Amino acid sequence: MSVPPQLRLFGVFLKVGILNELEYRVNFYVQLLQSAVGLVIGLAGLGVVFSHTDTLGGWSPNELLALLGIYFLVQGAVQLVIEPSMQRFMEDVRQGTLDFTLTKPEDSQLLVSVGQVQIWKLVNVLLGLAVLGVALSRLQTAVGPGEALAFGVALLAGGVIVYSFYFFLATTAFWFVRVENVLVIFQSMYQAGRWPVGIYPWWLRSALTFIVPVAFATTVPAEAIAGRLSPGTLLLALAVAAAMLAGSRWFWGVGVRRYSGASA
Amino acid sequence: MSPLATLGGELAGLWAAYVARFKVAIGVQFQYRASLVIWLVWTVMESVVYLVVWSTVAQSSGGQVGGYDAAGFAAYFLVTMVVNQLTFTWIMHEFEYRVRQGQLSPLLLKPLHPIHGDIAENVTYKALTSVVLVPALVLLCWAFRPALQPQPWMAAAFLPAVLLAFLLRFLSGWTLALAGFWTTRVLAINQLYYMAMLFLSGQMVPLSLLPGPVQALAAVLPFRWMVAFPVELLLGQLTPEETLAGFGAQLAWIAVHAAAAAVVWRAGLRRYSAVGA
Amino acid sequence: MIATAPGAAAGEGPVPLAAAAATPAPPPGAPAIRVDDLRKVYTVHERQAGMLASMRSLVRRRVKEVPAVDGIGFRVEPGEIVGFLGPNGAGKTTTLKMLSGLLYPTAGEVEVLGHVPWRRRREYLRQITLVMGNRNQLVWDIPAADSFELNRAIYRIPVADFRETLDELVELLDLSALLQKPVRQLSLGERMKCEVAAALLHRPRVLFLDEPTIGLDVTMQRRIRHFIGEYNRRHGATVLLTSHYMADVEALCRRVVVIHHGRLLFDGALTELVQRFSPHKTIVVELDEGAAGVDLSSYGEVVAVEEGRVTLRVPKAATAQVTGRLLAGVPVADLTVADPPIEEVIEQVFSGGTAGAAAGGAG
Repeated sequence: MSVPPQLRLFGVFLKVGILNELEYRVNFYVQLLQSAVGLVIGLAGLGVVFSHTDTLGGWSPNELLALLGIYFLVQGAVQLVIEPSMQRFMEDVRQGTLDFTLTKPEDSQLLVSVGQVQIWKLVNVLLGLAVLGVALSRLQTAVGPGEALAFGVALLAGGVIVYSFYFFLATTAFWFVRVENVLVIFQSMYQAGRWPVGIYPWWLRSALTFIVPVAFATTVPAEAIAGRLSPGTLLLALAVAAAMLAGSRWFWGVGVRRYSGASA
Repeated sequence: MSPLATLGGELAGLWAAYVARFKVAIGVQFQYRASLVIWLVWTVMESVVYLVVWSTVAQSSGGQVGGYDAAGFAAYFLVTMVVNQLTFTWIMHEFEYRVRQGQLSPLLLKPLHPIHGDIAENVTYKALTSVVLVPALVLLCWAFRPALQPQPWMAAAFLPAVLLAFLLRFLSGWTLALAGFWTTRVLAINQLYYMAMLFLSGQMVPLSLLPGPVQALAAVLPFRWMVAFPVELLLGQLTPEETLAGFGAQLAWIAVHAAAAAVVWRAGLRRYSAVGA
Repeated sequence: MIATAPGAAAGEGPVPLAAAAATPAPPPGAPAIRVDDLRKVYTVHERQAGMLASMRSLVRRRVKEVPAVDGIGFRVEPGEIVGFLGPNGAGKTTTLKMLSGLLYPTAGEVEVLGHVPWRRRREYLRQITLVMGNRNQLVWDIPAADSFELNRAIYRIPVADFRETLDELVELLDLSALLQKPVRQLSLGERMKCEVAAALLHRPRVLFLDEPTIGLDVTMQRRIRHFIGEYNRRHGATVLLTSHYMADVEALCRRVVVIHHGRLLFDGALTELVQRFSPHKTIVVELDEGAAGVDLSSYGEVVAVEEGRVTLRVPKAATAQVTGRLLAGVPVADLTVADPPIEEVIEQVFSGGTAGAAAGGAG
């Protein structure tokens, strides 16, 4: 059994990222501290809310803890590779150094997507898993194999959706001068994902589901754990994931053609 | 030349430098009109999330939490949004970029302290962002129906309170940004600072809803004077005496931060001059 | 031990706010730039290859001291253009940064226009400029003209002076078509012209130019080079210039200062540099018609042969003797003796390293 080349490429970038980051040891401690503070604030936020109420929009404290874990997990994964890679890509477009990437004998979308790794963000991934684990152990109702499978599928679909969305936004760098700020749209909308999207007014809920797909990344997997996920929603998540992945790939092709045309 | 005339000339020259910087900043920002909208989404989302969460809490606890009903929370978080917009700085990002790109040296070779350029740029940005924030604010008021009836003196005191809050927040951000002289990754510190702000300045939840020990902590730290104080003032939660005491606290913290900024700047320059760009 | 200059009347006392009027006048005949025994030692973290070593360095790091500038000294007279030469890493940029006030030295004295640079007094900063060919200071997203306006305000240049200087720069550098375009739309050469203009708006008396022509095409290099010479002639500005392009140095600098590994190798006229460091001379022999095929390799190293023209390289000391033998033994139509190209000499200097310095000291 051989490792797929895509994964191997990611592995190489991961290693480079680790070596590079080890030179900045302060960052490691800062990240530890930062993740700890993030955790404290997340838990404290839940704590403050539940010091004034018992349920929030039908969610129990432990279910929201699971949601918080998923929130950290997805955020960590995004910050680990997607966000730094997209930022690097945009900078490359601005500085004209994208040429180096485009002349490499490897799929350019893949290269761009894993081009930069912020290794310490792994801490957030682990943190998310830990919080999720604690939440699961405290949930009154046991999570059966069906729910676990649904959770896995929903999380995977959510990850693909988030990646595609990010990548789609980043690709607009081919047209606009400074789009780093576009990524902030995701980050800012994503903070809404710390809470179940059901509590938001209809217009915001729609935006969080279909414009900036935060709901699929956080609320839907959490619903699977809470045993409230309908098969229809899961199918919808899968369909959206497939469509967005295909769409981002198509859009990337358009962008690269434009870039080549403009710089030639 | 008399000292007074010298000072006058000095100030006139400084003003001219500010005006030139305003023009450049407007020119630059005008190139990035789209980013204004993006910034708006960020600002609005931040406020709306907490607004909705706490309104939901209020509804599920019989309509009221700690003296706030849904309309009260709406007022609190929308005013917070405005104060946050008026006091926000992104100077740490700017500094990190400068250090990374080697842009600091040209600044240091200019016969003008770099802080002036930073202030001018920040003020320009606020003026421009207000253009997009005001319509958004109207829409949000229509969507969330905030309950806000300040007395005239509160509205009058609100302005200097926000101005002092801006000065304080700018100075603290600028001082922390100077960490760039020592480490190449200021953004980690920035995120830490941001999180502390979120919790202790009243952006995430009214300070009065926090547990006692945290409230005590917020009381002795500068963050609440950067956001919560003007907000509570406009919401009518403060007596005139408390307001005056608040101004005093703001001024004292500004003095502390200005002194810290001066010391750290000098140390930073020494360090920069020792290790080079 | 950063000692104050001995002639410290040169304005080192506490300077009042806005003492622009009180610009210290260096004593008459004083050099524009005086550098004595200047040293700069950097402390660097030792980087080790490999994951394990990197992991270990998370906890503990080894540091080592690297002398970048190791006791150099020279003077530059007002109005002089001096070429500052050395291979990469010789300490040129570090020295320029100390002279412009960005870096504190580890030891030694520097005085520029009567100021100690690293005090960064405003009245000092108003009289100097630093141009780095690979760094830009113009605001990227707006036209250069707007950046110029900003500089006018920061340097407090009176409007009339500003207009005059700008007109002059626009004429000399041919900027009129460029000023209103956003800087990011300019080509590298166009941007460099604007950078140079921005750096000179305040009419600095001392120019530190670090590779001002790097990366530019030959025409643009010539243009910038010509401009620097013209600016120096018109305004009597003192110029300290580093460049990898010997054409820059040959065109502009009668005098060069050469450093290598942070030490001074040579300070003197460019012609003298060639004489001292080139152990060779070049002899070009034009042969009579009919003698084109003659092999001259017994006279010296044959560098080039083309249509009856043979270029020989011979040891300097043997020049006269070889010339005599050539004239006696070969049908010569014409014969010229010349110094080798400057690039070759410089290469010689740097590959010779400190051995060359010893020779220089003896000479």
